[in-house]
Amino acid sequence: MSFAFAVCLAAVFGLAAIGTPIGYSLLVSATLYLAIDGADLALAAEQLIQSIYDGYTLLAVPLFIIAANIMNAGTISQRLLTFCVAVVGRFRGGMGHVNILSSLIFSGMSGSAVADAAGIGKIITEMMIKTGHYSRGYAAAVTAASATIGPIIPPSIPMVMYALISNQSIGYLFLAGILPGLLMGLVLMLMNWTISWRRKIPVEAPTPLRDAPGITIRAFPALMMPVILLSGIYGGATTPTEAAAIAALYALLLAVGLYRSLRLREFYRVVVESARQSATVGIVIGCALIFNYIVATERIPEALSNQMSELQISPLMFLLAMNLLILGLGCLLDATTIILVVLPLFVPTAQALGIDLVHFGVVMVVNAMLGLITPPYGMLLFVINAVTGIPLRDIIVNVLPFLGALLIALLLLTIFPDISLLLPRYFGYMG
Amino acid sequence: MQRFIKLLRKIADGVAGAMLATLFAVFIIQIAARYVFNLPVGWTQEVQATLWLWLVLWGAAFCLRDEDQVKFDLLYHMAPIRWQRIFAGLAAVSIVIAVAAALPAAWDYVDFYYRKRSAVLQVRMKWVFIIYIVFSVGLIVRYTLGLIAILRSPDAPPSRPSLHPPEEAR
Repeated sequence: MSFAFAVCLAAVFGLAAIGTPIGYSLLVSATLYLAIDGADLALAAEQLIQSIYDGYTLLAVPLFIIAANIMNAGTISQRLLTFCVAVVGRFRGGMGHVNILSSLIFSGMSGSAVADAAGIGKIITEMMIKTGHYSRGYAAAVTAASATIGPIIPPSIPMVMYALISNQSIGYLFLAGILPGLLMGLVLMLMNWTISWRRKIPVEAPTPLRDAPGITIRAFPALMMPVILLSGIYGGATTPTEAAAIAALYALLLAVGLYRSLRLREFYRVVVESARQSATVGIVIGCALIFNYIVATERIPEALSNQMSELQISPLMFLLAMNLLILGLGCLLDATTIILVVLPLFVPTAQALGIDLVHFGVVMVVNAMLGLITPPYGMLLFVINAVTGIPLRDIIVNVLPFLGALLIALLLLTIFPDISLLLPRYFGYMG
Repeated sequence: MQRFIKLLRKIADGVAGAMLATLFAVFIIQIAARYVFNLPVGWTQEVQATLWLWLVLWGAAFCLRDEDQVKFDLLYHMAPIRWQRIFAGLAAVSIVIAVAAALPAAWDYVDFYYRKRSAVLQVRMKWVFIIYIVFSVGLIVRYTLGLIAILRSPDAPPSRPSLHPPEEAR
């Protein structure tokens, strides 16, 4: 590691610690590095411009954002919830299961945990509280925990970012997320059932069977979204980026045409908000890629890889150590930063140890998503606190058992690569 | 002055929204052309890449409120106001210095692309990449104004540099 890079690293941590936006901390530190190194200062501009301009797959990001926001603005979320109530509302802890199931379905559409929590999550949290059986903290905790599934089941913005830094196929990464996402849903439902049983939460009156067909028909077009999206990608018809555009168009058609729930004024608001969110993510990606360029010129990932292989560490030990590291970092850092800045350091090591990079990606993305609900810095905790007004303390206390359940799921995913690799292999992945 | 800033804010948001809406529309055109009419079009990818670049840099410079940015503000919020002012000041100074120092080199880089044209639409790439200069100047102006505001009111909590008033925050 050169002197310039040591200064650069200190600057990143220093600036980020005092609350400078992460993107700009990276940009400033990279410029500082170039200055000390005597390199052309234009390299920062060049890396940022070229990586965004040439990053065609990244275009999926704004499109998935706009799709999620359209679904939240229209009544699509509402219809999905009615459907979920009809399906799992009858079991013990019913509304908790509804919350988790709706996250599973919604995550097949939006690709963003925050969109899940702020949209459908906000509605279901209020519904849970209204039944009078669940505390506010518990309702918010289930919403937070289940929102982490959003980016595991495709589509997924974090997986797009991982594909970018690891050169893996987005299509296979998306496929690899499906079973792990379902597993996460399963452990959360088990935990919800256990807690509801212990607290003797009464069972809700089941939705009458004669209403079921109507409810299903009303939700059907929305339920078709994941099917359209995935068959577009895996049928080979569209690129993942184009599939994202189709998803957004489909959401728009549903909201405007079929459900007549989105007015022009609101659509404008949705577009502007989506543009803002796209820029938020985009600038971090652009600046992180400048930083990654410097990390690569310094040959840091190779050095790490060599050191690790000298340690003769087993692949499983490496994965477990990585999990601990990312969980620790996840308590403090944003998932975007972890995936774009921290993971590139370790991808070569994982490869050298013979770990499948799709499996590695799924485990690391799941882990980074758990970081969204680990205090003190958990983005989902903040978002739910902001949209529902439920105190952070209450959410955090109640989210811990669910975090525990998700950690077990993470451990299973780490030890058994087949959970992630089964579907991609079925579709021709040679990993 | 207040009304003027409000107007600027509306325009900045509108432009970003229009870019995203156009990006979306161009995708739909591309998909329709390729799969429905079987007419592959080449210009769409160029327009998409340009709009994406412009959306990110324009949005970051003019639309994002400071609280929209991804950041680690745990220490910041725990610190007393005096320290918050120092933190915000330091951040602003380093951003202004770094971006301003790199500006001439960045300009040379962008200007160099005057000679290169895009593959399909034959647009001079300088005019595509010029948004980086707009972004740089936008950042310098915003964070300089933020710094001035901190220095001017010695007791107030630092107003984070933004075109958007805090009450609009989510």
